[in-house]
Amino acid sequence: MARLVVVQQKQPSFSLLPSSLSDFNGVRLSNSSIQFSKRKEWQAKGAFQVKASSAKKILIMGGTRFIGVFLSRLLVKEGHQVTLFTRGKTPITQQLPGESDQDYADFSSKILHLKGDRKDFEFVKTSLAAEGFDVVYDINGREADEVEPILDGLPKLEQYIYCSSAGVYLKSDLLPHFETDAVDPKSRHKGKLETESLLDSRGVNWTSIRPVYIYGPLNYNPVEEWFFHRLKAGRPVPIPNSGVQITQLGHVKDLARAFVQVLGNAKASKQVYNISGEKYVTFDGLARACAKAAGFPEPEIVHYNPKEFDFGKKKAFPFRDQHFFASVEKAKTELGWKPEFDLIEGLADSYNLDFGRGTYRKAADFSTDDMILNKSLVLQS
Amino acid sequence: MAVVSSSSSFLSSLALNLPSSALSSHPRIRFSSTLFSLFPSSSPSSLSSSLSISSSFLFYPVSCRRPSVSSSFSVKASAEKKKVLIVNTNSGGHAVIGFYFAKELLSSGHDVTILTVGDESSNKMKKPPFSRFSEIVSAGGRTVWGDPSEVGKVVGGAAFDVVLDNNGKDLDTVRPVADWAKSTGVKQFLYISSAGIYKPTDEPPHVEGDVVKADASHVAVEKYIAEVFTNWAIFRPQYMIGSGNNKDCEEWFFDRIVRDRPVPIPGSGMQLTNIAHVRDLSSMLTLAVENPAASSGNIFNCVSDRAVTLDGMAKLCAQATGRPVKIVHYDPKAVGIDAKKAFPFRNMHFYAEPRAAKDILGWKCTTNLPEDLKERFDEYIKIGRDKKPMQFELDDKILDSLKVAVAV
Repeated sequence: MARLVVVQQKQPSFSLLPSSLSDFNGVRLSNSSIQFSKRKEWQAKGAFQVKASSAKKILIMGGTRFIGVFLSRLLVKEGHQVTLFTRGKTPITQQLPGESDQDYADFSSKILHLKGDRKDFEFVKTSLAAEGFDVVYDINGREADEVEPILDGLPKLEQYIYCSSAGVYLKSDLLPHFETDAVDPKSRHKGKLETESLLDSRGVNWTSIRPVYIYGPLNYNPVEEWFFHRLKAGRPVPIPNSGVQITQLGHVKDLARAFVQVLGNAKASKQVYNISGEKYVTFDGLARACAKAAGFPEPEIVHYNPKEFDFGKKKAFPFRDQHFFASVEKAKTELGWKPEFDLIEGLADSYNLDFGRGTYRKAADFSTDDMILNKSLVLQS
Repeated sequence: MAVVSSSSSFLSSLALNLPSSALSSHPRIRFSSTLFSLFPSSSPSSLSSSLSISSSFLFYPVSCRRPSVSSSFSVKASAEKKKVLIVNTNSGGHAVIGFYFAKELLSSGHDVTILTVGDESSNKMKKPPFSRFSEIVSAGGRTVWGDPSEVGKVVGGAAFDVVLDNNGKDLDTVRPVADWAKSTGVKQFLYISSAGIYKPTDEPPHVEGDVVKADASHVAVEKYIAEVFTNWAIFRPQYMIGSGNNKDCEEWFFDRIVRDRPVPIPGSGMQLTNIAHVRDLSSMLTLAVENPAASSGNIFNCVSDRAVTLDGMAKLCAQATGRPVKIVHYDPKAVGIDAKKAFPFRNMHFYAEPRAAKDILGWKCTTNLPEDLKERFDEYIKIGRDKKPMQFELDDKILDSLKVAVAV
């Protein structure tokens, strides 16, 4: 997947290759001069006719794995100058399935990289201060302390846009979750909650996006992939308990569009938005939807009681075993955002661009399935 | 250039503050209906003639389109006093809708007649809400009884601006009312249908526009109304609670909880349902009457904006009583009973959301089950229902088959 080097060689027209800019570690002066001349050249090329006043200098914390891959492309297309802050472990750019060579070349020639570890707070503060950014998209932040050096380094920051999670909501018998609902200070996602509180207390113009389950091509969380592996292998799909538990999937491209729609949007100031699909889905229904989207026959679903098994550290099913869904009406009403993908279309998009081409993140592991299926075989005999 | 168009549309949508989806999600909105609010209304007949003239599609510039819904929602409530006829069922879960709606309209200054099906002297009239119809009369409303197929005669030849049919489930029952309304120049026809007509789905919630069961009798009614009237609106409710309810809802749970009986719930108990306070249904209907242009040509799920699971409802009812609850799950087939008789809600996900009402009418949901159930329980105790001797035959059959002990 490391195509960065190859792409750069195809772009001789740009005198400043992205990789030469990628090492910002403490090299302040040359960085700022490189930034400055690159910006001039970029505007002079006339490739974009975006009004200079609306073009922002944007920093994305992360951006090379899933959400940011799509978000960065949208932002670059809108004419913004986008820098990705990553450790550089994953290639800065990779050509997306379905992306034309031209589009990919264009994108990779414009995207910038700031190499560093966001846990190195001192480095974060100084490198950001040296660069100066108008807007920060924090896509991979988990803990509140990670945000402080960013805010300290960018006192004139116009907007801090944070990728939080609907996992912060306190479990309830009354659903869907609305943005005003109680949150759970003890949840697995409490770092996200603490980050939101910190942002609010620092008086910065922040916006927080709470996705539910994200899906789409390049998903590294085995959500749809988990079903696709079983469907491809022609295996039954084991679903815990009744299978009527309701969850909600949101396509990564719709999420990326929501992130773009809050940029520079006064309505979004200090607001939280749930972003996901417009409809929810039952566990059983999701198995059927994955089959339909990928062109597999309707799967055999096997229900089981998870309490009867000890799966050790392995996860037998990719979703939390409860109802979990959130209303996206606030985003629809206030931002004019609307998901473009419905579930089947979205799953088809994911399948056609990823799993269906033979790519996936996690190899199939049917060990927990076999425990479940063997037991049910035994019960039947 | 792709870049220019995307940023300019972004900027223009900011300037006009319009949700880009405002119209595309509601294709049935008819611009012609906006004319009605511009005409000074003198008599129904003059407006009905203008109705026929303006029934063709007219296009308005972007700035006249309905505004986005937010705290500054600006659909103007009509200050006009309406003459409203409610044709009301004489029994069942929907009966209480007409009662609340009548009272709300009266307090808003409208003229209300409520026609209840059947005879005033019938035993059915001894039950709520009918037993409280004096409240409608003392608020200035008219109560009449009769056969809806003779509605014109029953209302003594009176003319109305708005008719709500909160009675018929099939075309045979609603047609005479609709035809009479049309012929007497009723401007706005409202119909209480049912969210039960939605086709079951893997992808809840039921949203306006989703596929309905072709053989559901309400569907033929909905189609007919949309054909006959220029200004119509359809409301699809689920379950409701509220003082004056004709049918048990929360009481079913209270009956068992106060007697320390287990609460038998079919299936997993995870099934979602939707229980609204009837005041929310009434407020939605009132918004439609007071915003005829906005509501015209639309279907509205007449429900609260939260789902509750069956187990969740049992727990909330218990919390309202301040007592513990023991929930027992069972498989109706295995026990050999009809879940419809044994339990007040559908044994499946049955969950619609009121998206059209929020979007188009600026309607707000006020149902707060934890609070509302406390109020319901207070009344339950006040009327002495906790002391009423009761039989729980079906419960006992269920519990017996599960070998669950019941406190003596």
